[in-house]
Amino acid sequence: MQPWRWLALCLFASALALSGCFGGEEKLTVLAGSEVRDLEPLLDRIASDTGIRLEFEYVGTLEGADRLMSGQIVDLAWFSHAKYLTLLTAVNNRIRAQEKIMLSPVVMGVKESKARAWGWIDAPDVTWRDIADKAAAGELRFAMTNPASSNSGFSALVGVASALAQTGDALRVEEINTEALRRFFAGQVLTAGSSGWLADAYVANQDRIDGLINYESVLLQLNQDNQLAEKLYLIYPKEGIITADYPLLLINPDKREQYQKLVDYLRKPEMQRAIMERTLRRPVNLQVETGDRFPKQVLVELPFPNDVQVLDRLIDGYLDQQRRPAHTVYVLDVSGSMDGNRLRDLRTALLGLTGLDTSLTGQFARFRSREIITMVPFSADVEEVTNFTVDDPTGQGSDMGAIRQAIEDLTAGGGTAIYTALRKAYETVDAAYPTDPQRYYSIVLMSDGENNEGPSYQEFAQWHRSLPPELQNVPVFTILFGDANQGEMSGIAELTGGRLFDAQKEPLSTIFKEIRGYQ
Amino acid sequence: MNRRWLGPLLSALLILGVGAALVISIRNSPIFNPKILVSGLIGSEKEEFFRDERVQRALDRLGIQVRYEKVGSREISEKLRNEPYDFGFPAGVPAAEKIRQDWKLSTQGEDVFFTPMTVATWQPIADLLATNGVARLVEGHYHLEMARFLELVKEGKRWNQLENNQVFDANRSILINSTDIRRSNSAAMYLALASYVANGAAVVQNRTQADALLPLVTELFVKQGLTGYSSEEPFEDYLVMGMGKAPLVMIYESQFLAEAARTDGSIRPEMVLMYPDPAIYTKHVLVPLTENGKRLGEALATDEELRRLAVEYGFRNTESAYFQEFFKSQEVPADLLNVADTPTFEMLEYMIQSIQSSMQ
Repeated sequence: MQPWRWLALCLFASALALSGCFGGEEKLTVLAGSEVRDLEPLLDRIASDTGIRLEFEYVGTLEGADRLMSGQIVDLAWFSHAKYLTLLTAVNNRIRAQEKIMLSPVVMGVKESKARAWGWIDAPDVTWRDIADKAAAGELRFAMTNPASSNSGFSALVGVASALAQTGDALRVEEINTEALRRFFAGQVLTAGSSGWLADAYVANQDRIDGLINYESVLLQLNQDNQLAEKLYLIYPKEGIITADYPLLLINPDKREQYQKLVDYLRKPEMQRAIMERTLRRPVNLQVETGDRFPKQVLVELPFPNDVQVLDRLIDGYLDQQRRPAHTVYVLDVSGSMDGNRLRDLRTALLGLTGLDTSLTGQFARFRSREIITMVPFSADVEEVTNFTVDDPTGQGSDMGAIRQAIEDLTAGGGTAIYTALRKAYETVDAAYPTDPQRYYSIVLMSDGENNEGPSYQEFAQWHRSLPPELQNVPVFTILFGDANQGEMSGIAELTGGRLFDAQKEPLSTIFKEIRGYQ
Repeated sequence: MNRRWLGPLLSALLILGVGAALVISIRNSPIFNPKILVSGLIGSEKEEFFRDERVQRALDRLGIQVRYEKVGSREISEKLRNEPYDFGFPAGVPAAEKIRQDWKLSTQGEDVFFTPMTVATWQPIADLLATNGVARLVEGHYHLEMARFLELVKEGKRWNQLENNQVFDANRSILINSTDIRRSNSAAMYLALASYVANGAAVVQNRTQADALLPLVTELFVKQGLTGYSSEEPFEDYLVMGMGKAPLVMIYESQFLAEAARTDGSIRPEMVLMYPDPAIYTKHVLVPLTENGKRLGEALATDEELRRLAVEYGFRNTESAYFQEFFKSQEVPADLLNVADTPTFEMLEYMIQSIQSSMQ
């Protein structure tokens, strides 16, 4: 090759290298709460204006905390708030900087007719106590996410508990008013593991539910979307509220410069306006005119506890004492195809829920006091149906031991009669419901294959439509595992108001924990 | 395509490029411009100052390039162990003393600038406190009567129990939002001030005196619940979330003035800066760990341009005339006469440890 050709090659190579430096986008990984998914449409604009491409990986806050504690490598994290995270020393040590990006208070939306009947329209004195009274009287049935799974439920729990303690200061363990909280949560008839799904579930169930607790932004969006027969009136209770402030967290110290650039960019008036218009969250840059999107009143912010023990006790109290107790039916495929690794994964996932999973998510996802667990293992037919009641709030008692034994005893073999088993699950609920109508009933269906025995999907769907309303409202959370039929599994979830979870993409144990937020 | 000219052309381009790169790198080399890179940890309240391009240019003129990370002032000493840093630049003498003791330094730090502790509030709240005899308008700015304020805290008064309160009907204890006393200097200065007042306008000198007033001053912090780790956090709550979150916030005067000087509308007419009476000053002390750190401290203290730029960020230093001129529209008091003393490092640490133990 002639010398100049070498030179030309060199020049070409250096030009390539240069364009890599100046023209390309830099990717930053973000551990994100599902709440910020609504920013996705803005990511292209952010990338073209800043040269930084944000790549979201969605996890719950507790799951995010688990991952940060276990040292997962990630550049940034972005949840609706970071208060719990900063109270966990091991997580806080990884947070190098945090800056608020947008705001949304967690408030209550009730149907306008109800608000009017109760004199709550334009009434600045409505309190969380008033809401608790209506809930305890059975007049207000509401939806709220599970505080152990979702930040809106968690913020609401902290706010309600602080307000009901009546102290005017940050809540302490001995001030938690269990009885008042139990009255409040008597009205909670729908739960969920995510704020977005809860909003959808409210839409689907609006004929039987009077309101929901969620981010102001989600409630305003519902009112805008024309899916509601009746608009929601937003209540900002007088004792105060907890506001989500969506801090962008710097985790990787080498990305400090990029982080600062992003924060500066996101807090510019143009960007703040774009975020507000798209998400209905309040701007943190007050140069942005908010118009009449948000009420102008002063929102009293409740103090947030300074002690992670208070928060843990609040969640434990909610799960063990205050919420409506759950009755959960597990319909588990133990057909021949489950033999080997699949059955082992299933056992591990279920055993994790009996308290053997000691991660943060595991601790809060375990079976709780007062809960009834029904196991419906099936193959060509339903095998033995067993009921367990959890009494011991520590999770160490003989009740948990019995559940563990039943899980260990699962063996695989035979065909797959999905709908025979699912009908059996509904019959179990039907038998329990008349004597215990206040419970929160739900079904989990895990299968790794096609239905090849008993009734078909169509026959089941037809049968389901013939059920009385209280049974039709029992949701089935379906788990897509192995070679399960995706169409049918998502069909069942849709038919029953449940949700499909994909264990082909995530470990079975993660899925079982995630579903706990919906039970 | 005629390739005969292509080769020489590309060669010529390459030579030009390499030549240009060479010139640039020589101009930046230490032989022509002996520049030092100085890295350190700063309290968050000084970040805006260091980010200003004029500050960077002025430092550049002196051959200094600064790399910093912001942390709570009281955390600086510990976090200096993470990397080989040249300096720590906390917002107060106690935090600087902590670094000097932890690192067994014999050198004094450089007193670069100082600022009084102030309480950011809102016009309706200032008026309400004045009505209740807790605040007083003096020559265009409000004084917060600390002794009277501590009485309210001692009585456990809530906002909705104040007389003639039409403006803030909140069932929350009357408290000043501060930072986390374990991590941040501004909370430590608040403690220094409160302990002085609670001790009958005298600096706390021994544990007996401290033990007598600890139950009261502990409430100031514990009742707040979760607090920010660095002084910018409660101030940001004030700016962004408003009166419902932050009716009263303990901040450095410089934070408010710097924000007001930005004239981007973030300081609105209803925002009011109150001066506690007695007052307390905090000194921003640059503690050098290396020769390079020392050079930065000297530059900030002696270079006139840097001193004047510091004034524009609300810090007080020897440029007092320029300070008054720059903030003429803010009616900033020139001198605060009734000033509380700060307890010794050991006494302050003793009180902080005690408060910390009741937080868990």
